[in-house]
Amino acid sequence: MLEARLEQAQILKKVVDSIKDLVQDCNFDCNDSGIALQAMDNSHVALVSMMLKAEGFSPYRCDRNIALGVNLVSLTKVLRAAQNEDILTLKAEDAPDSLNLVFESSENDRISEYDLKLMDIDQEHLGIPETEYAATISMPSAEFRRICTDLMAMSESVTIDATKDGVKFSCNGDIGNGAVTLRSHQNVDKPELNIDIELTEPVGLTFSLKYLVNFCKAQALSSTVKICLSNEVPLLVEYGLSGSSYLRFYLAPKIGDEE
Amino acid sequence: MARTTRSKASASTAATSETKSTPSNTKSRYTLPTESTNPPKLFILPTSATKDAKIVSLLNPRYTKPTRYLVCPETGIYEFTRIAAPKATPRSWLIECGNTGKVEEKTSEDGAELGAYITKGADLYVATLIDPLFLILPAFAAQSANTKDEKRMFISSDDHLDSIREKSPHLSEILRWGNIRTLLESRMAAICDTAEAGDETMFRFNEDKLLTEVLSKAQKMSEQSLPKSMEEKFVTKALEAPVVGMKRENTTTLSISQTEAQVQSETPASTSTVSTPKPESVESQSSALSTGTAPSLVSEVSTAATSVVEESITTTTTAAELTPSLGASPEITTLQRLRTAFNFICSCYIAPSQVTRLQTKLKEQKPPPIDFTPLDNYLEEISKLRQELAAARSVGDYSRKRVLDEEELADRAEKKRRKEEEEKRKKAGESKGVRDLKKVNTVGMKKMSDFFKKK
Repeated sequence: MLEARLEQAQILKKVVDSIKDLVQDCNFDCNDSGIALQAMDNSHVALVSMMLKAEGFSPYRCDRNIALGVNLVSLTKVLRAAQNEDILTLKAEDAPDSLNLVFESSENDRISEYDLKLMDIDQEHLGIPETEYAATISMPSAEFRRICTDLMAMSESVTIDATKDGVKFSCNGDIGNGAVTLRSHQNVDKPELNIDIELTEPVGLTFSLKYLVNFCKAQALSSTVKICLSNEVPLLVEYGLSGSSYLRFYLAPKIGDEE
Repeated sequence: MARTTRSKASASTAATSETKSTPSNTKSRYTLPTESTNPPKLFILPTSATKDAKIVSLLNPRYTKPTRYLVCPETGIYEFTRIAAPKATPRSWLIECGNTGKVEEKTSEDGAELGAYITKGADLYVATLIDPLFLILPAFAAQSANTKDEKRMFISSDDHLDSIREKSPHLSEILRWGNIRTLLESRMAAICDTAEAGDETMFRFNEDKLLTEVLSKAQKMSEQSLPKSMEEKFVTKALEAPVVGMKRENTTTLSISQTEAQVQSETPASTSTVSTPKPESVESQSSALSTGTAPSLVSEVSTAATSVVEESITTTTTAAELTPSLGASPEITTLQRLRTAFNFICSCYIAPSQVTRLQTKLKEQKPPPIDFTPLDNYLEEISKLRQELAAARSVGDYSRKRVLDEEELADRAEKKRRKEEEEKRKKAGESKGVRDLKKVNTVGMKKMSDFFKKK
């Protein structure tokens, strides 16, 4: 039996919104530590990993491990009925065929209740090791999004070069080329605008901009984003959520395709 | 003897090319001379034809309109066959009329410039002997159409020919030449009943005689082998049995022949038990064509018709040991050749209305002058086989399936519908973003499972 109560429905709304364009169906794996999600896109070149820790809910109860197989388009439809500030409660049986969602409005005494049919999804789980990345860049999520959308107008892929001078996002397209360079930057008044570059060795990798722009839909979840790069491993784009919950995206670099 | 001749300007029907003057505003130093209104044509004329031979217009027996023939007062009448290069590979003649070439009937307009010509087309006219019999056939066209043999009258050859004199411009003229009249009359006698009336011979058209005449020509033609292209298209192809991917124990390729044997075996075969070949012994031979459908069809469908075919096939394969490539027996091939020759003669020299009458006569005449039944039986067998093969193929399923009955068809339609629905539902569960991502170029990107190991 699962029962998880979120103070703000918007967290789940935004999480689902930001991954529904990457993944079609996925399992929400619920256990006593929280609700986790791991899924790949159709091409299996990108992976999304979400963790909503039990501490983020009040209360959280999960007696047994449950996999909630959900079609994200359907879930979006249901969640659209919830206001951002509503209290959201997820409930499911131990071997559920539907997920019960309750939205409570704190302003008025409106309670809406939905049951979402579940599906069996056969998904493989990948073990993601803890990695020491060669470069870790923290920056405002809006900035990252802007860079990605700006460069997407020029090309389909971006090369991220992290050196001790800064990090350079450059692209080369049919109409020309473009680059955005960021340097470490501290803003005392607004720490969320800080740009922080940690570098152990210089890296340069190329990625598909379409995917990066897709990841940027999670911008609403967090004001900052962490980008981690190392040669020969997937790029990690992480949006931190309240507590130690997170939404992470992984993307395979483009190799041998210097267009 | 090849000669270049020029038709007289007065015979304008023959002059096909039109005057086309070169554009006067060309700046080129060389101007092309104006195209001749009456360009020379190339003919190959028989050496046997005498000097007096002339090209005249006579009624074409097939198309009932005046056509050119070469008439020699002594040796007979020749028809022209035009040999032309195909449109795709244009050619021309370079004709030199100097010392070697001899242009007859020099006219003033040929003038001094008469040296060499380049003709537009590379047509060549070959004159070959034609049986005058065909030329007088149109005279009997009206009679053969509507009157019974008995009601026809014995009339003189002149009266017969009167009926076509109008449409055959030079007929009266040539009748006055040498022995043309005797020639025509002797040929007329070949297809007519004759009666002596005083010193004049009277003729009455006899279709049976015509049929015999045409058949004997066809026989002659088919005895020497037909031209290769004709043989291939109308004999070999027509007699080819469809390749059935069927093999039984040690029999070679299916070969049907000896229709008589088949016909006889049909009756007992349909009653006898149908031995279905075991799947192991069934080997498809031409994969594209049959891919196992034919044997399955034969073996599984237990309708009378099929079993007959199957049995008859086996009987023949065992009864008549024939080369696998040749399906038809020599007898059938000969018949087919004869029929092809007959049809060819009919289609070239005899008016369509007369042809149909001849063909019905050929079928109905008792006893038949030529017995085509073995050939007909064989062809019927082949067409039946073809139909079955086509039916088997149209099933489109290469597994060992029977011909679909309605229930199965409905089942299939239902399945298809369900599949479509499912697809639609699947589409609905897919966001626009996911759809768009499918189009993203992922070249050079490794799969996630290459980086992260499965748990």
